Amino acid sequence: MLEVRGLVKHFGGVRAVDGIDFAIRPGEVFGLIGPNGSGKSTTVNLVCGLYAPTQGQILFQGQDIARVATHKRLSLGLARTFQNIRLFTNLTVWENLWMAENAPAHRAEAGFLKRWVGGRGNARERISQALEFSGLAHRADDLAGSLAFGEQRRLELARALAARPRLLLLDEPAAGMNAEEIAQLDERIRMLQQQGYTILLIEHHMELVMAVTDRICVLNFGRKIAEGTPAQVQADPAVRDAYLGTGA
Amino acid sequence: MGFVDYVQAIIDGLLFGTTYSLIGIGFTLVFGVMHKINMSYAAASLAGAYCGLIGPQMLGLPPWSVFPLSIVAAGVIGYVIYLTCFRFIPLASPLATLMSTVGMLLLVDEIVVHATAGMPQNYPAIYDGDPIELGPFILRADLVGVFLICVVAMAVLLALLYRTRLGMATRAVAQQPVAAQLCGMRLQAVNGLTFVVAGLLGGVAGAMIGASVGMLSPLIAGTITVKGLIVTVIGGLGSIPGAIVAGLLVGAAENLFQAVRNVTERDIYVMLLLFAFLVLRPGGLFAAARGRD
Repeated sequence: MLEVRGLVKHFGGVRAVDGIDFAIRPGEVFGLIGPNGSGKSTTVNLVCGLYAPTQGQILFQGQDIARVATHKRLSLGLARTFQNIRLFTNLTVWENLWMAENAPAHRAEAGFLKRWVGGRGNARERISQALEFSGLAHRADDLAGSLAFGEQRRLELARALAARPRLLLLDEPAAGMNAEEIAQLDERIRMLQQQGYTILLIEHHMELVMAVTDRICVLNFGRKIAEGTPAQVQADPAVRDAYLGTGA
Repeated sequence: MGFVDYVQAIIDGLLFGTTYSLIGIGFTLVFGVMHKINMSYAAASLAGAYCGLIGPQMLGLPPWSVFPLSIVAAGVIGYVIYLTCFRFIPLASPLATLMSTVGMLLLVDEIVVHATAGMPQNYPAIYDGDPIELGPFILRADLVGVFLICVVAMAVLLALLYRTRLGMATRAVAQQPVAAQLCGMRLQAVNGLTFVVAGLLGGVAGAMIGASVGMLSPLIAGTITVKGLIVTVIGGLGSIPGAIVAGLLVGAAENLFQAVRNVTERDIYVMLLLFAFLVLRPGGLFAAARGRD
């Protein structure tokens, strides 16, 4: 599904990502973990196109997308959520979903008028499903900026789903959530996997990562230090060193 | 001059003020999307109106063709301004686009002066029927036409902004460019389209100014630029309802000043109005009043 080969990203002299390889299989929930500053977020930003890599390949369904323009990646089947929520706060909940659902890239075959001025008609059904799934149906006409924090997080996920992705990038979806909300998130991630989504999960909340992922890649200082099932990774001495410091 | 004359002046001012509203909306629209002021906007709008004159004067088209031609030309000019003054200019520098658009304002003015040899050009009225009498007041039929056309232009714009994907995209891009890109929106496409829409609106304004004044002259560009900016400040940068109300207010106020004093003093008071607003309501009409730091 997604394969990253020799991925390198330098910011000036800082090697944020320094030669990473991993491959995500279709239908898998793949975890990307590591201490702060280990290069996780940079990796996701490279995959979704906010940064261009210094070196390396990003193969999505066999195609190298490293140089594909950011706004075109949605129609390839990539969507993401953000750690620091990035909703369109001055649009309503429904309109936020519509922006993703009805993206021009999805409708490249339609003419200019249809793409930009066309109505909302055929989007309604899919958007109400997305609202239902995220438990936001009753807030559809409220401004996104007026939602509570937990609702905003759910709307971020719903917006990513509305884009009809094949690969979903979740950037620290549990940040700032309480135990009950994390349990709901756990359940939602499993439901999404059952529905056939492939998921790349970046997360600090280890309990959640260990519970929902099939395989995990551990980064430290921009390099991969371990990869395997949650049990394998937990037992790996290099991982313990990275998290606890050597000699702990 | 009595009470009736003052009310008459205010009525005329309100009708003509819709053109100021359109210019104010154009400034505010670009500001809303790019957080930049396009100083050349009003001059470009009038340049569109000048281009419309090519139809009847040089191509032998009927006089009414001047109106659609003006609007289309201003839309095209709007896109050219986006390409020359914004697209390839570093947006992070707050002064860069200010300089490029002031340069464009002067360039457009020079081109107009050159093309017309500095002579005022007659511009057809939108409608030359009999004035409508309302008791002691008179509504100039052509101004009523100007008013109606400007109101229709505003209604179309509001529908575009609040009912279509393009309108939502302009708001989404302004507010959250990163997420907007990941939702499949190309920033340059949305920004460029915003300039075209603002340009079309300016074309309507330019044509209607020409139609109500009866002519276009290079002298108009300066005053319309300043009044457009005043409308934007009074309405609040980025606020479309604010620009509409402020345009009517400035139109009515300037005509009242003209009736009470005279035409040469008129703009002095309009400028003072600007300072009054900057001191008392720096955020515009619809922002909460706030004290100074």
